[in-house]
Amino acid sequence: MKDLAVRLAALDADAGAALRVIAYFDGLVEARAGLQPIVRGAAVLADCPARLTDDERRVRIRVTAAGVSAWQDEAPQQNWMSATAGSATLRLERAGPAGPVEAMILERAASAARAVLDRTRGRAATADPASAELIVDASAPADVRLQAGRRLGLADSAYAIALPAEIRVLSGPVPDLPGRAGVGPTAAILDLPASWAAAKVALRFAAEGTDEDPGPQVVHAAELGSLALLAEVGDQSAAPDVKALEHASAAAPWMLTTLHTTAASISLRAAATALRVHHSTLQDRIIHAEQLLGWNVREPQGRLRLQLALALRRLRRHPR
Amino acid sequence: MTLSVELTPPPFDPELGAALPAITEMLPAVLSADLIPAMRAGSLMARVTDDELRGDGKFTVEQRQVPGLDGDPDISLLIVKPTTVAGTLGCLYYTHGGGMIIGDNRTGVADMLGWAEEFGLVVVSVEYRLAPETPHPGPINDCYAGLAWTAEHAAELGYEPGRLIVAGGSAGGGLTAALALMSRDNGGPALAGQMLICPMLDDRNDTFSSRQMAGRGIWDAAANDTGWTALLGAARGGPDVSPYAAPARETDLSGLPPAFIDVGSAETFRDEDVAYANRIWQAGGRAELHVWPGGFHGFDVLAPQAAISQEAKAARVRWLHRLLDL
Repeated sequence: MKDLAVRLAALDADAGAALRVIAYFDGLVEARAGLQPIVRGAAVLADCPARLTDDERRVRIRVTAAGVSAWQDEAPQQNWMSATAGSATLRLERAGPAGPVEAMILERAASAARAVLDRTRGRAATADPASAELIVDASAPADVRLQAGRRLGLADSAYAIALPAEIRVLSGPVPDLPGRAGVGPTAAILDLPASWAAAKVALRFAAEGTDEDPGPQVVHAAELGSLALLAEVGDQSAAPDVKALEHASAAAPWMLTTLHTTAASISLRAAATALRVHHSTLQDRIIHAEQLLGWNVREPQGRLRLQLALALRRLRRHPR
Repeated sequence: MTLSVELTPPPFDPELGAALPAITEMLPAVLSADLIPAMRAGSLMARVTDDELRGDGKFTVEQRQVPGLDGDPDISLLIVKPTTVAGTLGCLYYTHGGGMIIGDNRTGVADMLGWAEEFGLVVVSVEYRLAPETPHPGPINDCYAGLAWTAEHAAELGYEPGRLIVAGGSAGGGLTAALALMSRDNGGPALAGQMLICPMLDDRNDTFSSRQMAGRGIWDAAANDTGWTALLGAARGGPDVSPYAAPARETDLSGLPPAFIDVGSAETFRDEDVAYANRIWQAGGRAELHVWPGGFHGFDVLAPQAAISQEAKAARVRWLHRLLDL
């Protein structure tokens, strides 16, 4: 008997082909089939290998036209027919553009794959600002906060991330973050308000990473230690050491980056490497900076004084 | 038997269930006797050509006329022999499927060629006369006469007599099981194994699975009734049906060659095939049984790319390895 592939392969000109493709993937979705059957369906119906990749979720599946699972490391070709399925991409290993039946296969298979990925691999960080705000609000009732945790798909413990205009609450590893961020400590769901408070403090210590505002863009509250207490002391723009730092920064564009790197490196040699300047050039710059600041930044005492001044300046730039 | 409750069928495997609408489109909703001519003429049964079977010289193809049983008309045997295999050959005597009412000796043969190449098997496929024009015992006698000729001509066909196995699917599976019974009862030919692929064994058509799958999947109880009635007429389901027509009727399943039996969990034949394997064990025999979850009748042929179809086909190959890698 003729099999399904033969039956469907001959259908390009047939208006019924699209309907059969729809029925096939609807059937898979209804039966809650996994990713393999969906990719296999695309490969068999299109009669060419098909692959589904999702780097974020570490999914990679390739199935041949005969329905056999067989991954190949070679990168996909630019001209292959493809469709996106959320963060995943479904490709037919055939040069485009897609004909109507191929387009239908791609669309239905991608949509089915996306549903499976969302169901089985977790939603890829879809923002739910209302739930995130609730869960860090200590005044909200406990059951409401626990409910918000379930909506956000959190495990038993989680942590808050403070971005300049956004609250995020996550379980698991810290993702790549866009720009300045403070990361709160991991806590039980009901202790997330404290994690959020700490994240907000950490955010104030996070720098733009520019010459004007050198320093780390992502700061973990757990690594601040007693430095976090500085956030409590109010505006210190009038403090003599902060004024001295501003005075020095006006002298040269390299000044703040040089001082930050010197304060953050274990040796001048390491600082010179990080700044990509010659050791003697750095020596000259430090001597110049010390004259403007009025203290020696290479001795332990002076180095701590510089670190505190840099921290206070950053807190002033990023007020509560 | 009347049923007071709606029977819940096992769900189809997801991939098989998704493929089913496109497959059933090709089939009549209810297979009744008056549809048999149309089924035979349909494009469903596209004949494989000699050239396709030769596969660029990997096989030779020959059609032989051999005598029927006890003065019956001659029988046509399709003989496909691998050319690339070195060493001792075996023989796979193949009986095609088609509900006793459709098909010819080319039906499904292409699927045997992979084994022929891998295991070095001469494939002999028998053209048995079909019901209802030829009722029992015509079809099985044709099959047996062809098998006897094949065994007698082992030297001419170039295979080792100890490596003769019989195989068939669906109605061909039932005929294959009957060949094993007849060979045992007649003292030959000696068979090394019997491969019964979703075999059609029981004319009574009244098992739990037959009722459970009525109107569902492929080859439901109504189609099964059409096939058996074509073969047996009014005797179908009655007290006097020969085990050579319906092997499930055999009371003594001892002394049979090793059996491989597979079937889907979602098909009419599930219970009769499981029972057959179980009775072989109870009789002290050797049988390997696979029940593939969510499989409809013939799923591995109708949806060959599905994961479960690949598994089912691989299991047959593994059995052949254990049987033939001596």
